[in-house]
Amino acid sequence: MNDRLKDAAGKREKFPFLEGSRVLVVDDDDMIRDACSLSLSKEGCVVETAEDGETGLAMLEAFNPDLVLVDLKMPGMSGLEVLEEIQKRAPDVVSIVLTGFATIAIAVDAMKKGAYDFVTKPSTPDEIRIIVARGLEKRRLIMESKALKIAQEKIRRNMISLVSHELRAPLAATVQFLEIIIGGMAGKVSEEAMEMIGRSSQRLREMLDLVGRWLNLATFDPLRIADYFKPVDLSDIVGECVKAMGHVAGEKGIEIILERPENLHTMEGSREALQEVFNNLIGNAIKYNREGGWVKVRVFEDGDDICAEVRDNGKGIAEEHISRIFDEFYRVDGRRNAPIKGSGLGLSIVQTLVKAHWGTVAVESELGKGSSFTVRFPREGKVPRASKSARRSLLT
Amino acid sequence: MKNGKTILIIDDDEDFASALRKILATAGYHILTAGDAKEGMNVLETTHPDLILLDVMMEQYDDGFTMCSAIKHDDRLKDIPVIIVTAVTEVTGLKFDPATDGEYLEAEALLRKPIKPDELLGKIAELI
Ligand SMILES: Nc1ncnc2c1ncn2[C@@H]1O[C@H](COP(=O)(O)OP(=O)(O)O)[C@@H](O)[C@H]1O
Repeated sequence: MNDRLKDAAGKREKFPFLEGSRVLVVDDDDMIRDACSLSLSKEGCVVETAEDGETGLAMLEAFNPDLVLVDLKMPGMSGLEVLEEIQKRAPDVVSIVLTGFATIAIAVDAMKKGAYDFVTKPSTPDEIRIIVARGLEKRRLIMESKALKIAQEKIRRNMISLVSHELRAPLAATVQFLEIIIGGMAGKVSEEAMEMIGRSSQRLREMLDLVGRWLNLATFDPLRIADYFKPVDLSDIVGECVKAMGHVAGEKGIEIILERPENLHTMEGSREALQEVFNNLIGNAIKYNREGGWVKVRVFEDGDDICAEVRDNGKGIAEEHISRIFDEFYRVDGRRNAPIKGSGLGLSIVQTLVKAHWGTVAVESELGKGSSFTVRFPREGKVPRASKSARRSLLT
Repeated sequence: MKNGKTILIIDDDEDFASALRKILATAGYHILTAGDAKEGMNVLETTHPDLILLDVMMEQYDDGFTMCSAIKHDDRLKDIPVIIVTAVTEVTGLKFDPATDGEYLEAEALLRKPIKPDELLGKIAELI
């Protein structure tokens, strides 16, 4: 018995997770199948066996196991292939590898393919029970966190529906009535009243806009948007954003300097979404700046990455705030009457959209000196082609 | 100042519908209203309005889209211009959904709630 098991076996502990758990054993050797079956059934497990990979995979759905023991070396489909398939079809099922020759290389390979642990053959009934029990504990944790995620998702959905029906709809209806009064269709109103109604309508429209932005963010589906990506030139898009922002910067006496290369590689993306990213970043660099400050926007390539940096010599961000600025609604100056207005949603939108493009955002900042936000995206053809379910778990 | 044209408003928000009715009545249109897609379809069985104002975000998320599509694939109804009104904002460009964008296009126009009265009347005048 190897070291990592001696302790546990020595204590002869009970195996609380074994009782009632469903275990599938996939091995071409009937002796091993019987040995596993026997030692696990004794502890109250429900055990099914399969003599090859295909049969095992076919049982995955019908038997719905909590855990699968897979022999690495079988005729036909190899154990590694079986692992890969399990990972694809039932990512919540814990798999454990049975191997006659335990080398680190094989173990690492199996772990990469999704195995949680391994048992070396020949193995004692205790070894099997201990490792299976450990695997089942892992399974319990997976299922618990999944249940938690489902609960959170439900709360989020309720929130979306609440905001959209109970907040946005009445706001829209109210503004619609005010518009009728403003349009003079409800009879004459005093000039003073008209001015107040105009202000009310304006304030409510701002609120509607915020609600709309939040709803867009909350209902955003990164996988769906990725299905419609096209090759785009980031330098072009950033150039357009700089041009569109020139006016706002000029008004505040801030200079924008653009540096971009000719012949940039293309990347896969949505033009609208990327514009949104740079409108937010450049907008912030102007907003949190100072009289006579500058904003330098630089597009460049770094290896296989297409990058863009937005740097300013404005207010900067104190270190203790940096980790939180990407949070929804977080603002460094969160006071209601903060001199610079904002919703705190901009950077969370930036992060969501950048991630949807397989990208990253990094920030460096020093209070009083300025900030720099750098985004990186893989260039066209260098995008990781992960399966949809793998991407979904990465993104959520 | 009746101009004789009939407009069907389909919206499940009574206040919103009544606001639209007010705007259109002021301009002399004859108004019909329906509270949901089903009721709207019933109205269309017996009448042939000159234009339809359709809210796409009723109780059932895709009711409006489905209805718009049904109108545009019905030989008797497809000549009626449809204006979709929606509270869905696209200010952030985040809502990227070609599936439903395609269906938007089946309508003659799309206006965002709240709608400026001038804009609404201008659009209608363009279409009928
Ligand atoms: N370029 C910048 N310089 C200094 N502070 C910044 C910069 N960009 C963002 N911040 C800080 O990060 C916070 C969050 O930004 P954001 O999510 O865009 O929301 P908003 O600008 O609406 O507050 C801002 O309130 C601001 O304090």
